[in-house]
Amino acid sequence: MDFTLNAHQEAVLDAVGTLLSRHAGPARLHGLGGDEPGYDHDLDKRLAEAGFLDIAEPGSICRLDAALVLEAIAGSLASSAAGWRLLVVPTLGVDVDGPVAVVPEGHSGPARFAADADTLVVIGDDHVRLVRPDRGAARIRSRLGWPVGDLNGLPAGGVIHDAPVSEVRSWARVAVATEMVGAMQFALDITVQHVSDRRQFDRAIGSFQAVQHGLAECAVAVEGARWLALEAAFTGSAGTAAAALAQASEASKLIFRRTHQYHGAMGFTREYDLHLATLRLLALRSEAGSLGRPAAACAREHWGI
Amino acid sequence: MEFDWAEEDLSYRSELQAFLAEELPGRWEGATAVLGSADNAEYSRRFAGLLAEKGWLTPHWPTEWGGTGATPWMLAVLGEELWSRGEPRGPQYMNVNWIGPSIMAHGTVEQCQRYLPPIAAGDVIWCQGFSEPEAGTDLASLQTRAVRDGDDYVVNGSKIWTSYGDIADHCYLLVRTDPRAERHRGISVLLMAMDSPGLVVRPIPGMVGEHSFTELFLTDVRIPVANRLGPENEGWNVVREALSFERVGAPRWARAALVLDETVRGALEQGRSIDPMAVEAVGLAKTACEAARVLCYRVIDERARDLPPSPHANVARVAMVQAERLVADACAAIEGNEIMRYGSDSDLQMRKSLAAGVAAGTYEVQLNLVSRRHLRLPKG
Ligand SMILES: Cc1cc2nc3c(=O)[nH]c(=O)nc-3n(C[C@H](O)[C@H](O)[C@H](O)COP(=O)(O)OP(=O)(O)OC[C@H]3O[C@@H](n4cnc5c(N)ncnc54)[C@H](O)[C@@H]3O)c2cc1C
Repeated sequence: MDFTLNAHQEAVLDAVGTLLSRHAGPARLHGLGGDEPGYDHDLDKRLAEAGFLDIAEPGSICRLDAALVLEAIAGSLASSAAGWRLLVVPTLGVDVDGPVAVVPEGHSGPARFAADADTLVVIGDDHVRLVRPDRGAARIRSRLGWPVGDLNGLPAGGVIHDAPVSEVRSWARVAVATEMVGAMQFALDITVQHVSDRRQFDRAIGSFQAVQHGLAECAVAVEGARWLALEAAFTGSAGTAAAALAQASEASKLIFRRTHQYHGAMGFTREYDLHLATLRLLALRSEAGSLGRPAAACAREHWGI
Repeated sequence: MEFDWAEEDLSYRSELQAFLAEELPGRWEGATAVLGSADNAEYSRRFAGLLAEKGWLTPHWPTEWGGTGATPWMLAVLGEELWSRGEPRGPQYMNVNWIGPSIMAHGTVEQCQRYLPPIAAGDVIWCQGFSEPEAGTDLASLQTRAVRDGDDYVVNGSKIWTSYGDIADHCYLLVRTDPRAERHRGISVLLMAMDSPGLVVRPIPGMVGEHSFTELFLTDVRIPVANRLGPENEGWNVVREALSFERVGAPRWARAALVLDETVRGALEQGRSIDPMAVEAVGLAKTACEAARVLCYRVIDERARDLPPSPHANVARVAMVQAERLVADACAAIEGNEIMRYGSDSDLQMRKSLAAGVAAGTYEVQLNLVSRRHLRLPKG
């Protein structure tokens, strides 16, 4: 076991970090529409050209490097479906180009990327399908920091024979958990900065123990989610994947409430970056839920209950 | 970064499991009392003796003192396997993990020769005399006074919440040797025989187990100066270092995960249905155990690399307390009315989870440390 980055991982993260610092980040998201962003095709193109979107080795169950890259992408608030591409697509056993959206079988209603995706990955109880979305899937007004389309039923067909359904679902869980970790860390970091700078009663508000304890619990929750997600990405274990998603989902509730609370009115403004990260968590949590309620899924993976 | 177990750790684990399957099929009965009663202590002595014969009681000690040079990961495997069987080493767990190493680091040759072999053989029980009625979280305010008189210290004062005080042979005792010094500076560590004249041990009935802990009253107890561990008035550093040997402390998550597993399996075997609310609680509890596990592993990895202690240990401790609590909630959700039956899993876990956030450093103190050291939030 080794919790430090090896030289290769460090180099990869360095490189993707440089790319993201130029072409992603909160300013870029504001430019794309802020909490109602368009899809960042330009970023996807750059990530693809640099080879980051195909970093997972097909056939290998270890997707740790892909998860590390995804965490960085999510932490820079990219308006991209890179998560599905990095962690879910390599399990399908077929080539898929362009942005993808992942939805449960029978889904109808809002889904991230549904209006922008070239491909929908539909996860059923015992099958996985790949379909082209009706171009009619309309972009709807959503203000949770993602481009969202409205699916009005799913096209038929496209079943992938012998697709490992439960593995696909597990990797979808790891992807959502990892995206949550990126967004949560962003929210936590700017909150720590804010409470360290903002003074009331002649002291930094971050020196009040109520605030400290609230944020310390957030940090512990996010750390737990991060390391479970990375471990799951390394081992491919379904149990760990489910635990990672449940941990991330629970953590996201704490992060959402507390980071806003400790910002006071400032956190309520559209100009400030906080909401770009926190609102995203709500969308991610709803998608986590459509993979099976996370905590219950964790119990099921471990005991079949 | 990678999350595989090394070959040597895997084979160590399976060797250990084979031994335990024979020695301790199922869970140790004594585990139902969180802090050992006298009966449990007898079992623990026997069990620790068996481990000692195998070289598994103090594997991480230097070979000079009966160790086998085991790595921190092997020690972690040992801790996990034993805690997930209810910690049959009982009180001896402290001896081998930090009392022995502390004596090795600061003891004289005579102290090492006298105290270490019995610990390595599993022959002896120690207790920890830190807390006092007026010194809990604020341990450095302790007042038990030791005054030099010839070759002895004469000690007066009292200790409280001393686990195993009634069955221990020795006490790792914190006393104040210089009342005028800055409070962290005037503290010393004394190794006290529990049969010293002037020492009275009174059990304090606790919520967990039958004799949870004790109170020690010291009236003119004479402790030889030769029993002082480390320099006079430098006890605070000695004890801080001692407690950081472990960094994350006991792998409580492993025991909590075991209780959860047994409670779920118990319900399934009896054909009881687990309603959706309980399934949810079980999932949250399992998740918390998993998070605590991986966060503890991160700390073990640091230790295996000989890195200095870091706030990751505080993060892991917070996660462990949360896991204990959520397992208690899950057991209660599964067992329903069974919590009214004394000794049921839900009853016991509720009690243990209460202790988890208090004993060995409170939850709030860990949060203080996470705030300051990990998040670097400003001081008040
Ligand atoms: C089961 C059990 C076994 C034990 N065994 C031993 C033993 O063998 N030997 C021994 O010496 N002691 C032992 N203890 C005692 C234990 O170490 C103390 O209980 C612990 O240090 C807390 O001290 P206290 O109980 O006096 O609580 P207090 O210090 O009075 O704390 C009460 C509450 O106030 C909070 N608080 C205090 N200070 C702060 C602060 N600065 N910021 C925020 N919150 C704060 C605490 O977190 C806690 O929630 C044991 C305790 C238990 C429960």
